[in-house]
Amino acid sequence: MNTNNEIVSLTNIIKNYDNGKVITKALQGIDLKIYQGDFSVMMGPSGCGKSTLLNIIGALDRATSGSVIFNGKDFNSLTNKELSIIRRNQIGFVFQNYNLLPVLTAYENAEYVLMLQNIPLSQRKEKVMNLFKEMELEGLENRLPRELSGGQQQRVAIARAVVTNPLLVLADEITANVDSKTAQSLLMLMEKLNKNNNITFLFSTHDPIVKKFARKVILLKDGRIDKEELSSENI
Amino acid sequence: MRSNLLLISKIGWRSIWRNKRRTLISLFSIVIGTGIPIFFVCIAWGFYAGLIDDVARLMSGHITYEHVEYRNSPSNDLWVDDIQKIDQTLNNNSEILTTKQIVNLQGVAHTAKGSVGISLMGVEPEKEITISFLPENIIEGKYLSKGDERWVVVGQKLAKNLNIDIGKKFVFTTNNVDGELTEELFRVKGVFKTGSKEIDGHFVQSDIGIARKVAGLSNDDVSQLGIIVKNPDNHENFIKDLQKSVAKNSGVFLSWQKIMPDVATTIRMDRTAISSFMIMLVVIVLFTMFSTILMSALERKREFASLLALGAQQIELKIQIFLETIFFGLIACPLGALLGISLAKWVEGYDMMDMFGGKAEDMTVGGFGMDTIITPLFSLPLILQISIFFFFAVQLLSILPIYLISRISITDELRSA
Ligand SMILES: Nc1ncnc2c1ncn2[C@@H]1O[C@H](COP(=O)(O)OP(=O)(O)O)[C@@H](O)[C@H]1O
Ligand SMILES: [Mg+2]
Repeated sequence: MNTNNEIVSLTNIIKNYDNGKVITKALQGIDLKIYQGDFSVMMGPSGCGKSTLLNIIGALDRATSGSVIFNGKDFNSLTNKELSIIRRNQIGFVFQNYNLLPVLTAYENAEYVLMLQNIPLSQRKEKVMNLFKEMELEGLENRLPRELSGGQQQRVAIARAVVTNPLLVLADEITANVDSKTAQSLLMLMEKLNKNNNITFLFSTHDPIVKKFARKVILLKDGRIDKEELSSENI
Repeated sequence: MRSNLLLISKIGWRSIWRNKRRTLISLFSIVIGTGIPIFFVCIAWGFYAGLIDDVARLMSGHITYEHVEYRNSPSNDLWVDDIQKIDQTLNNNSEILTTKQIVNLQGVAHTAKGSVGISLMGVEPEKEITISFLPENIIEGKYLSKGDERWVVVGQKLAKNLNIDIGKKFVFTTNNVDGELTEELFRVKGVFKTGSKEIDGHFVQSDIGIARKVAGLSNDDVSQLGIIVKNPDNHENFIKDLQKSVAKNSGVFLSWQKIMPDVATTIRMDRTAISSFMIMLVVIVLFTMFSTILMSALERKREFASLLALGAQQIELKIQIFLETIFFGLIACPLGALLGISLAKWVEGYDMMDMFGGKAEDMTVGGFGMDTIITPLFSLPLILQISIFFFFAVQLLSILPIYLISRISITDELRSA
């Protein structure tokens, strides 16, 4: 691991949710670095702050205090619009319930962010088709999400997240809605993308299967990092 | 941005068809909302155009040339002269279809049965046949012909009140242009029925020759010169031109609105009524659609949130919602116009009395009877105006959803699985 290839650097991240009555201290001082090529997983019991942390790293939410440096940029100094452009160009998201746009076909869903990026049609087509081939999604291009199984939908969602070649892909509980065999194949696929295309992944999960694939495990507890360990079998 | 706009339109278009039933109900309410006023306007405007034309042709034309004082008191000693030359000039104008020379005499008709105040209109019968509907409405006897001395046609009510019929006489007392009392004996050649109490009870036509003689006017004088134009709606500037180039001495050109203020006022009031009716319909349409449009945006909050997460801009979502109501308007407003026009076409030629019941005599505007046969007028500017009005009204519906979407919290929406 090489500090030159540091993508994310978190310093003393605190996140409080204040709903007017109760203040929930979701993150209580997180320091964390993510490097180019990582395939890491955050684990911990439900409510320990995994999603909150992913959202902050992914520029979906702002920390109450502390700094997020993403690819050299300090999120605190960026406007919401600038954050959304970073999400568009440098971050990929995969969600627990896929969140594919139901009115778009598999192909169109994968093409969506490329269109936001104003990539020309021919290039979009090439990128999506190549990826679909690599991800064994060929033949499903024209299906709507509701015509796909959960595992297929999640594969399309992964395709959508990686097609733009982002610096970092954030994946929150992505195996929660599929059976363990499907989970296994999804992870194998992402491992391949990580190795072949050098795409960095950060997972959050409490699914042990994910842990099996991860090269680094970050254990969260009550909004704090309890332990960071390298998983020897995967290095 | 162009490919984005295409993408946004695609998503918007497909989104409105996700709940077909709901979308069809919304479209239906816009179609009805647009169609009904267009239907009424086509019927009403057609009806007014017919009424204006009928009355103008029966009386003193769409534009009238008369003495400047005649409007205030239409007395027998106010006339305009040099009329043959003016008439010739007017008939050479391409905007003018034809003209009618008129001598009006106010007076009293007497028989053994009694006396009735009447208005006698001296006309050129051979021309009147081509201009006015009165000759067609003769129910007994015949209409006048050129050079008829002492023959008149009278209304059915007047005939009854004076107890006269074909061939019978009455005495007409009036003032000539010098203010002297004169009497003339007239015979009934025909009896007409128009449906208007005023006209059937107090209106008499004779040949213009005898009317001039009784009045003491020369061949070059008339009380009014009626002008029938091609386009009765558009005459402001035309009248100004005529006034400058043709008018002599104390003669003035006036529009039918000035000549028949009652008819003009009634029409204006009716137009206001139709506008209020339209506003009411807009409110109903917006009301029925409001909750559906709002719901269809709110139930997609999660999708919008995930698009924002992927890097879509707020503005792109707003444009999408806005486009969706534009699609609604673009589909439904033309269909509404089509519906209104088709309905109006469908009832064209029917008699309103057969459809709604009632007597034609009851239907008068400014004292004039109306033609109860439905003849819609399809005015493109008006139909466009109403459709566009509804189109823009529908666009108001996107304001609240756009506002609510602009306040969406990505993480809250994505969390509430
Ligand atoms: N928007 C929110 N408002 C209030 N509390 C929240 C919000 N999001 C998360 N929390 C709370 O913050 C804590 C951490 O939540 P989360 O990050 O979702 O945990 P995890 O993903 O590890 O299950 C929990 O106690 C949760 O209830
Ligand atoms: Mg979570």
